[in-house]
Amino acid sequence: MIKLNPLTLKKLRRFRSIKRGYWSFVILLLLYIFSLAGELFVNKRALLVSYQGALYFPTYGEQVSGKEFGLDYDYEVDYRSLQKKFQREELGNWVIMPIVPFDPYEMDYANEESTGFSPPSWKTGHFCGTDKTERDVFARLLYGFRIAMTFSLGYLFLTYLIAIGAGSVMGYFGGKTDMIGLRLVEIWANVPFLYMVIILVSVMPGWWGVGWQVSSLLFIMVLFSWTGMTYYIRAAVYKEKARDYVSAAKVIGAGPARIIFRHLLPNVISTLVTFAPFTIAAAISSITALDFLGYGLPPPTPSWGELLKQAVGNLKTAPWIVISTVSALVLTLTLVTFVGEAVREAFDPKKFSTYE
Amino acid sequence: MNDMKKIKFFVSPLVVSITLFFLGCEEPKLKQPRETTPNQSQEPSNGSGKVDREFTRELAREFANEFVKEFAKQINRKGFTFDANQSTVASNHSVLKSGLVDANGKPNPLLSHCSEDVLEFYQKNADCFFILSPEEIPNDLDWKDGSSEKEFSSTIARRGGTFHAYMRDFPRTLRTIGPDANGAFRSYLLDNNVIGLTHAHPNSDGYYPGTANLWAVGNDGRTVYFHLDPNARFSDGKSVRASDYFFFFYFMRSKHIQAPWYNDFYGKDKFQKVTLYDEQTLSITFYKAKPDVVERVSIRPKPEHFYSELGGEYLTKYQWEPEPTTGAYMALPENVDKGKSVTLVRQNNWWANDKRFFRNRFNPDQVKVSVIRDNDKAFEIFLKGQIDAFGLAKTEFWYEKLANDHSLVKNGYLTKVTFFNQAPPPSYALRINSQKAPLDNLDIRVGFHHAMNFELVLERIFRGDFVRMNTVADGFGERSHPTLKAREFSVDKAVESFAKAGYSKRGKDGILINERGEKLSVEIMTGYKHFEDVLVVLKEEAKKAGLEIKLKVLEQTAAWKMANEKNHQVIFSAFGTFVELFPRFWEPFHSNNAYQEKGDLKYLENGDLKPGLTTKTSTNNFTQTAVRELDHLINQYREEEDLLQITKMAHRLSKIIHDHAVWVPAWKKPWLRVGHWSWLQFPDDWGPKESTDYEEFQVFWIDTQEKEKILNAMEKGEPVSSQPTVREFKKYKSK
Repeated sequence: MIKLNPLTLKKLRRFRSIKRGYWSFVILLLLYIFSLAGELFVNKRALLVSYQGALYFPTYGEQVSGKEFGLDYDYEVDYRSLQKKFQREELGNWVIMPIVPFDPYEMDYANEESTGFSPPSWKTGHFCGTDKTERDVFARLLYGFRIAMTFSLGYLFLTYLIAIGAGSVMGYFGGKTDMIGLRLVEIWANVPFLYMVIILVSVMPGWWGVGWQVSSLLFIMVLFSWTGMTYYIRAAVYKEKARDYVSAAKVIGAGPARIIFRHLLPNVISTLVTFAPFTIAAAISSITALDFLGYGLPPPTPSWGELLKQAVGNLKTAPWIVISTVSALVLTLTLVTFVGEAVREAFDPKKFSTYE
Repeated sequence: MNDMKKIKFFVSPLVVSITLFFLGCEEPKLKQPRETTPNQSQEPSNGSGKVDREFTRELAREFANEFVKEFAKQINRKGFTFDANQSTVASNHSVLKSGLVDANGKPNPLLSHCSEDVLEFYQKNADCFFILSPEEIPNDLDWKDGSSEKEFSSTIARRGGTFHAYMRDFPRTLRTIGPDANGAFRSYLLDNNVIGLTHAHPNSDGYYPGTANLWAVGNDGRTVYFHLDPNARFSDGKSVRASDYFFFFYFMRSKHIQAPWYNDFYGKDKFQKVTLYDEQTLSITFYKAKPDVVERVSIRPKPEHFYSELGGEYLTKYQWEPEPTTGAYMALPENVDKGKSVTLVRQNNWWANDKRFFRNRFNPDQVKVSVIRDNDKAFEIFLKGQIDAFGLAKTEFWYEKLANDHSLVKNGYLTKVTFFNQAPPPSYALRINSQKAPLDNLDIRVGFHHAMNFELVLERIFRGDFVRMNTVADGFGERSHPTLKAREFSVDKAVESFAKAGYSKRGKDGILINERGEKLSVEIMTGYKHFEDVLVVLKEEAKKAGLEIKLKVLEQTAAWKMANEKNHQVIFSAFGTFVELFPRFWEPFHSNNAYQEKGDLKYLENGDLKPGLTTKTSTNNFTQTAVRELDHLINQYREEEDLLQITKMAHRLSKIIHDHAVWVPAWKKPWLRVGHWSWLQFPDDWGPKESTDYEEFQVFWIDTQEKEKILNAMEKGEPVSSQPTVREFKKYKSK
């Protein structure tokens, strides 16, 4: 386990004291947790059903057949109409629905006249309106956020993993390793990222499942964007390597791996941390952009880019899509940026320079 | 972006073309259907798709051509000779008999102007080209002149003005044949413009005269005699000569045009004989006495005086040099603004100006076609009045972006038109690959039909504007099955049918499973990104019937390739269909296009398929249909020459395919929807019955006074109409 350098701890405490950044972080974290538990808040399945004295919790379990509740069909229960039915019958059965009783895939064609793009309404429960096929925009936003955030975290983790690996090897060994490695990285970095992603995604075999497609998209994006961080890690490792404690470790007989991971990394981590929020912001933007262009997540996965695409095509007819999606995007990116600024300030070496 | 596209295109056409050549597919799908009808893409309302597919097709042809050249080289090296044009060398005797040259070897006077190469070609194919004396024209011919047909233009049409249209991409060439030639722009040069021998009348089953003023079908039912209109002229003032129709075949069979499909389509197999009798009379003999033989042999003349002969430089020399045309509009090199626009100019003293069926048509003096790459941008430019008309087939354009209460419509500046037409619709359907498990089971396929909620799609996504397609051959009038209906969405029927196939229990997620615990899951693939929402609705609704649908929305070419390799389970796609007399069944449903094994060799005694058959790729049989009874009937159908029998057979074929449940009909749009500026005027019926496009028959005209009036009123903000100008033409609406 990496032990945090006391200086790093001090920096973290300083981060906490920067209110705007700290609270942004908290809000972002809460939002993400909220989205992870999204099924409890935004879902077409009921939270709780009481039918003939028995309680049902359909949220996470198996799909419940309509026959189970005395309906005439065998497919999944439409809990919203079940709720109305129970209310009408007044037999003591009841249904508790989540706050937003829709899921991101389901088309709400309950209203006879709805032909897509219903405006926001408290009555129908579509707080942010619906999209072209009557899917709830709020539900798609929330689940889209979950996917985008998870994707970005995965992206962050993987790019840093590669960047740390490559950067510290180059920085630590220096000399020819550094010389050749850096040239390779420079060449790789000159491959145009977006074009490569588009090309690779479009030739991706279609018979892969959704999970595979998302992971390979992540993999492709990581493959072409880890280079940026390498330079920083390399420079930071170079700097740290010259310190006495590294020489001391060498004298004791520690191998390169041990020195890199046990001694250098904890000291380099501050460099990484300052970049992390911006990497997240960049990842959210790129996945949205790719989705917008139609090269991102496979349909009908909820995604912000796909929403934006619909929004742009229907600016006048369905302004609620563009308003809610852009607000969500701006909010998220602003929060992430606030966190980033605070981290940068907290980790500013000018304040905590060890050269004093 | 273009480079990247090319990379994608690279793989599939290569595979396709090479397989085509090796397998000798009888009517390969990369061929383009009839030359006399405009090219229709898989999705007519979407311009980009059109270009894509055509591009692929052309690429495939180029590859194929390269391949042929290479092949020829190889053979040459081994001491053989090979020339696509010279498969048979006629003997002197037959040359003499054909009348091409006299006993002294001098060419017949009708061919005195021909170049040596052209003459040599005719002589080498003396079994195909004949010059006979006028006495040999049968006396008992029933000559027709189309006088019983009605004109379909308006007598109050006025000439003048400039019609502004747009295209998505600048044409890569002004040739109408050869690589890159069949882009969207070709219809301005050729399909909607050039006058052929006769034309099918768009309101009836008859014909109207073109460059031939009389025609007659011979007693054999497959030879058509034409008498040329003495007035017919090319745009350079030269008369259309009978020998131009000889030259047409020289041209179309030449390797220099680099269009193998045309080489084959106009080959000897189909166009068996061309005979000239005098300066004005010729006959063309088709390989079979088809009921629509007149239309099939009504070719468009090629100006021999312009080309003289073809050589290796054909492609480059004529890349930007349009040939003289018999049509009203000419493209002149000085009117081509490369990358931006092409302006077509109407000939002032066009030979057909006062001919019945051509007068009051082709009215604008100029047609300016500008490049606008983005459809939404084109729409905005249309609203500014810089384009005269814009297709409004898409619901969002019709209902939202240009709603009836849009100020331009409300004030009468713009007119919205719905015109009910009668033409075979593009065949939108889910094509089930009956070779792939679990869809090899008929009960699963029937269940699948009942699990597809197209009713909801039509009602909600298309707002009831489209109607359900019912058979594989809708829109062919009498030839379409009169009573057959597509299977309706029904959870009960679907579940019942799935249960017959062993899928009787619902799993944890509500999807049916069979005894082995296998999920009932089917993948639908498509290349149409713009119909993603349709598939999403089908997917969600199918869950109710316990069927899991996986969606795969790919790039068009990628989807095309997968389907060609028969790697799909179900593909959602459409083919362009053409206004023709009877539907085609051989390409999409004959077993010879599903498996390599020929004819009945595929079947066991009881009619089941033998195990271990070899799949045939790169054909249009996307359903892998192989039914013995169907095969036999299709064979008969192709041989049949009597229209009544053809009709009966078409009905039976439609029914058998319906029972085989491999083709889920989707929708058809029974109309054309167009928005146009109100200064554009149309005939009382708006257009002929078979119109598939507002420009197709060129019956509209520009009212310049009205244009001035509207522009003035717009400036002042005054309306020109008291109510929204929304018009509907129901004359040809089918019941």
